[in-house]
Amino acid sequence: MTYALATSLFYATAVAYACASVFFLVHLAGSRFGATAAKLAPRFLVVGAGLHAWHIVVASEVARVCPVEGIHFAMSVVSLLACVAYLTLRRRWRIDVVGSFVAPLALSSLLASRFVGGGELAPGPRVKGALLPLHVAVNMFGVALFSLAAGAALTYLVQEKQLKKKRLEGVFQRLPPLDQLDRVEHRLLLGSFPLLTLGIVTGTLWTKKIEIGGIFPMLHAAFGYSAWFICAAVLLLRAGAGWRGRRAAYGTIAAFGFTVMLLLVYLLAPTSDAAVAMHP
Amino acid sequence: MIVVVGLSHKSAPVDVREKFATSADVLPQVLARLSARQELSEVMFLSTCNRVEVMACTNKNTSEAEATHAIREAIREHAGLENASELDSYVYARSGTEAVRHVFRVSASLDSMVLGEPQILGQVKDAYDAAMAAGTLKSYLGRCVHRAFTVAKRVRTETALGAGTVSISSVAVDLARQIFGDLSDHAVLLVGAGEMAEAAAKSLGKGARSIRVCNRSFDRAAALAGQFGGSAAPLESLADELTIADVVVTSTGSPTYVVTRDMVKRAMKARKGRTLFFIDIAVPRNVEPSVHEIDNVYVYNVDDLEHQVAEGLKARHAEVAGAERIVEAEVAEFEAWSRGLDVQPMVVALRAKTHAVLFAELEKTLGGRLKHLGEPDRASLRQMMESAVNKLLHAPTTRLKASASDGSAADYAEALLHLFDLPTHASLPPGVASPPKPLVDDPAAPAARSEDDDDHVRH
Repeated sequence: MTYALATSLFYATAVAYACASVFFLVHLAGSRFGATAAKLAPRFLVVGAGLHAWHIVVASEVARVCPVEGIHFAMSVVSLLACVAYLTLRRRWRIDVVGSFVAPLALSSLLASRFVGGGELAPGPRVKGALLPLHVAVNMFGVALFSLAAGAALTYLVQEKQLKKKRLEGVFQRLPPLDQLDRVEHRLLLGSFPLLTLGIVTGTLWTKKIEIGGIFPMLHAAFGYSAWFICAAVLLLRAGAGWRGRRAAYGTIAAFGFTVMLLLVYLLAPTSDAAVAMHP
Repeated sequence: MIVVVGLSHKSAPVDVREKFATSADVLPQVLARLSARQELSEVMFLSTCNRVEVMACTNKNTSEAEATHAIREAIREHAGLENASELDSYVYARSGTEAVRHVFRVSASLDSMVLGEPQILGQVKDAYDAAMAAGTLKSYLGRCVHRAFTVAKRVRTETALGAGTVSISSVAVDLARQIFGDLSDHAVLLVGAGEMAEAAAKSLGKGARSIRVCNRSFDRAAALAGQFGGSAAPLESLADELTIADVVVTSTGSPTYVVTRDMVKRAMKARKGRTLFFIDIAVPRNVEPSVHEIDNVYVYNVDDLEHQVAEGLKARHAEVAGAERIVEAEVAEFEAWSRGLDVQPMVVALRAKTHAVLFAELEKTLGGRLKHLGEPDRASLRQMMESAVNKLLHAPTTRLKASASDGSAADYAEALLHLFDLPTHASLPPGVASPPKPLVDDPAAPAARSEDDDDHVRH
């Protein structure tokens, strides 16, 4: 019964996220139903986030896995946190359009958490310890904020390109002001960086405790450190050398790209390797 | 019948229009003078910088020509013109359906100089309020103008007639907002202190944190800055000013570039990459075009802005067909309602006759064979009769009103007059539907009628 409920909630969440994604894209495309779609999209995302939270609780019970102990669950929780962060900040920072990035990301993360690798109902981690939950938890929050920053950066690049090309119709009219996007991206980066740093530190300490070897841990380390390093560089160069706007956006997206690769490696890695947390 | 007499940007040049322009404080006198005309039952006066129009409803026995003439006379007197012919070539007149359509189109900004501009609706509303306050608007013209507000709202929400920006200054302000968001945290710098700079300052200066004017003549810069609560700077300090300002409007008459790529590159270093937006409205251009290639710097010249204006206008023109369809649908609806009013006397006469006949019979019976009934029973019988009249006449009333909407009211009116021997003052007014023939009083009529006529009446 609980398993059936978890499965039903999973698909209901996926449908809600899919609807939100479609409505966000319809709004962005400037369809005649754009205004209605813009109203419906966040509502579907709210419904999706609610169902998602319920699903995580029920599925954790089924799999007997704490959400901060397994990568599949962690990935699912990251997408939920990204949605919650977006829904909290969208009005305050006028970043509604970033939902066009967040909703598909949430949908793909949700689907990946179930269908890529062992899936969320796979056995729990091989080894446990006090550092692991902390490592996964801080990384979940960090990656959630970081994904929002990447959404803002992507939107910035679209808007900036329109301005440089002097194309002021269509999508340009529906995107937030350029400076606003730059500021939002910077704030989110500042918010996620300490969490990601703590994730790097706990991950490094964790790897000293267990024996790791093989290609997957090497890839974890390479992608994790690269993402963190680029993120740090973007913040430093912004403060010191005036790296704003396009350069900062490219940097943020590059760092996010490494983070996505890292998560994919975790999802695809054999279950025993997944016991090692999100960063080396 | 509604008539509209007036002149607009399409029919008269500004030096003629300005003679008729009326300020709000003299509007009550103008309305009083117009409503004193016996030809007019309702009056509204609309005066904007692009049009002066009298919208009126004629009295029952006044022809369209008489009403139009009366309005022309009134506005000629108002403008203080001696000769009526001075007016004739500029003034247009619309009546009936054309007048209703005109009122709707004006309110929906389909007849405006700048298509889709939003101010006209507010101006029509002001004129409506003034006429209501003066008591010169009643149910018919009042309803027409009120309906025009709905038309304007529908056009605005169901089409993109009001979308986009259609003036250079509004395009510039929109662009600045699209880059910076709220301008209250940003500084505006005007390079040059001519008329164009002044116009830009009016648009951009309102919401900006600060405004600086940089000009070759410092006194002129100070004078312009003083008008907008800003401060002045000499042209030599332009490089330094670029490190502070966020929006820069250039409009000097310099034949060479005033703002160069090197100057902006240095400024951007000092600004630590903060966004800089140039609006170059000078011809020849003041900002070196390659400045646009620098990261976080955007340069829009007068051609770019005019291109946006043209795009905005093009987009609005594409919406005209849709807006006109809305207007036509609303005109048809108003006309249907109006024709419904025309059959009202017929409905009243039919009810009165039915009521009179049935109640006369009832009272006769109550005074004779049913004399023994008490008051409660008599009241019940009267109530029953009232209810029977209502039920009996419900279908004919509804159908008669419906026939008014589709233009076949004359046939029904003729039949009703004939069958129920209704008084002729209940017949339809001329011009709405053909007046019923006086069949009842014409002794030759039954013989003269053909079988077709009989069929026609039966249908």
